[in-house]
This record gives sequence, structure tokens and C-alpha cells, in this order.
Amino acid sequence: MADKQSGGCIVCQIIGSKLPSKKIYEDELLMAVLDVNGANPGHCFVMPKNHYQILEQVPDTEVGRLFNVSNKISTAIFESLGVQGTNIFVANGIPAGQTVAHFTINVIPRKENDGINLQWQPKQLNEEEISTIELKLKGETKNIGHFEKEEKNIAKIQPARAEFLPDDDEIFSRQMRRLP
Amino acid sequence: MAEQNLSTEQLKALEEKIKQMSPEELKEFQKKQCIFCQIVAGKIQSRKVYEDEKSVAILDINPANPGHVLLLTREHYSIMPQLPEEEISHVFSIAKSISNSILRGIDAQGTNVIVANGVAAGQRAQHFMVHIIPRKDNDGVNFTLPQRTMEQKEIEAIGNKLIAAIGGAAEPEHDQPEAKKPEKSEENADLDDIAKILGVK
Repeated sequence: MADKQSGGCIVCQIIGSKLPSKKIYEDELLMAVLDVNGANPGHCFVMPKNHYQILEQVPDTEVGRLFNVSNKISTAIFESLGVQGTNIFVANGIPAGQTVAHFTINVIPRKENDGINLQWQPKQLNEEEISTIELKLKGETKNIGHFEKEEKNIAKIQPARAEFLPDDDEIFSRQMRRLP
Repeated sequence: MAEQNLSTEQLKALEEKIKQMSPEELKEFQKKQCIFCQIVAGKIQSRKVYEDEKSVAILDINPANPGHVLLLTREHYSIMPQLPEEEISHVFSIAKSISNSILRGIDAQGTNVIVANGVAAGQRAQHFMVHIIPRKDNDGVNFTLPQRTMEQKEIEAIGNKLIAAIGGAAEPEHDQPEAKKPEKSEENADLDDIAKILGVK
């Protein structure tokens, strides 16, 4: 199922069972595995089988499925792991913390004082800055729902550092093989 | 919130009243209490950047970065497990498009998409929402996740628990006709319990 672009992608290798993983769920479009170095025990990755680098490249039908399965896993975490919360977390692009160039949803079990910090210090903006942003965003969101316009206008961002991009797949898979 | 100013007796009376409400009355009551329901209804001012028949997107007044968007469902849900499937599909397709709008429209090189279910996860409001946060290098925001090492035995045990809990629930459902919205099914009651435990109800 994984396409040609995906040769050196670690996620595609997990999906193709070339790398070992603890599989939680699989269907024809996606796979969910346990993160063995998770932020908390039970931290899961939900990944499309098709190789997409960032959220914007994933077709709507697959987005729906991916987040519905993430939600089911989140509910299963509540029911079976005795946690007090869950996060659904996506890092899109290097500055957002994305490290592997294959779109992935994190489902993270949470407890009080578990050492995970997804909080922020609010930034202060003046009236003019806020209005400018509002106008710019409105200018873009008016295309939402007009599929042809949206298709052509997918933003381009760096999904992972160069050494982690599939083009450099050989180096990367060599690195991965060294891991236990 | 208003409840904080009530005496113990008043609080008890209120709890009693809530217990006796029908699901419909309860939903109405929650809506009245919920600031985001009032934002959605236009009773409280906000900076709307997108809206459709199911969702409303506004600028966060306490943004992690300029352009931080809150995507809200029009319907009141406390946590994501309460959302029907088609609503999840819709809201996250819109989240994707808003992320794209952020990347194209303002000076961002990435986005984080975050949902918090429960106070322990950082949920602050009792209305389900998706955060879409613009990111740049050195923007002062740090969501780096800690990495823990797990024993193989622990991985197997937790994995198997999750597999059992997901059970048939995660079977592909896309070919089935659209599920009817359950009135007050057992599943709903379960989710209400979860929401109560989470302290967001």
C-alpha cells in the first residue's frame, strides 16, 4: 500500500512490518502502534498507510478515519489504563516538533503531574496585530470547502530535518538499524 | 465560574437539581453555563475566522503564538469521546484546512494540532475544541514530549489491554449507513461518567 516515495521512511517500514512494533489496530487505510518510547505508558501513534508528509496532504476521507480511530484509541485508553485525561497531538513541520516525514497522530494518556507540558505562556498582541491576523486568516479560510482551490494551494513546509527525509533514506535506515 | 460563589447548601441543591434533569434539560443547562456555547451563539464577542453549519473557528485570546485558532463544535460536547463519528470527520477536515490557511496566510513554518481531554491533559473549558497553533523556529513555545523507556513486558501488557479495549469498536465503519444519534444509550452514559471523572462536566 505504501507508495514509492516511502523507501526510507521509518513509518512506512513499520507499516510494512520491516521494523518491529506493537500493533494496536490496523485496517486498510491506517495502522496504530504503541510508542515504545512514549511520553506515558500507552502513548500510541496513528499513521496513514499512504505516505503523506504533513496533515495538509492527507485527503479528507483519510483525515476523518485517522481522527476517528485516534478517538477510539483515546476512549480505550480511558477505559483500560485508568488515566485522568488524553491528548491528541499533531506536530506539523520542524518548528512544531515533527521529526519523521510521515504524518502521525499522537494519542497520549495523561495523569496529574506526569511531567508532560503542553501549556504555553500567552503572547500579548495589540489591537492592530490581532486585526491584521484576523483579516489574513479570513482571506485564506474563505477557500475552505472549495476543493479545487484548496488542492492547488497546499502549503509547503519542511516536515523533518534533511537527514530524516526519505531522499536520504539510506543513511536514515542505517541509523535505525542500530537501534534495539 | 459562577458555582464558585455558592454556599455548600446552594451547591447541594444545585447538584440535586442537575441529577433530576432529563438529558435534554441537562444539555440546555450546560449550554447556558458554557462560555464557548455563548461565543458560538454570538452572545459573547469573538474574532471569528471561519464558520460553517457544524463548527466555528475563533482567535484564541490567550494565544501560544499570534494566529492561534480555536476550532469549536456548534454542539456542546465536553470531551472528544462524546462526538459522533461524522462530526469528528468534519471538524478535523476543517482543522486541516485551517492549518493550511495558517501556513499560507501568516508567517508560520509549522502548526500543532492539539486536543485536551480532561483537566490533567490541560483542558480548561468544558467545551470540546481543537487548538491549531502556528509555529516558527525559536517562538518560545515548547511542546517537546518526554521519552520514557518501557520494558518489553510492559509494552506487551499495555498493548494487549488496549487491543482488548478497542475490540471490535475500531473496525472499519465507513461502508455502514450513517449511524443514528443515540438518545441516552448505555454508551452515552459511559461517556458521561468519563466526563464526570475528568472534572469537565
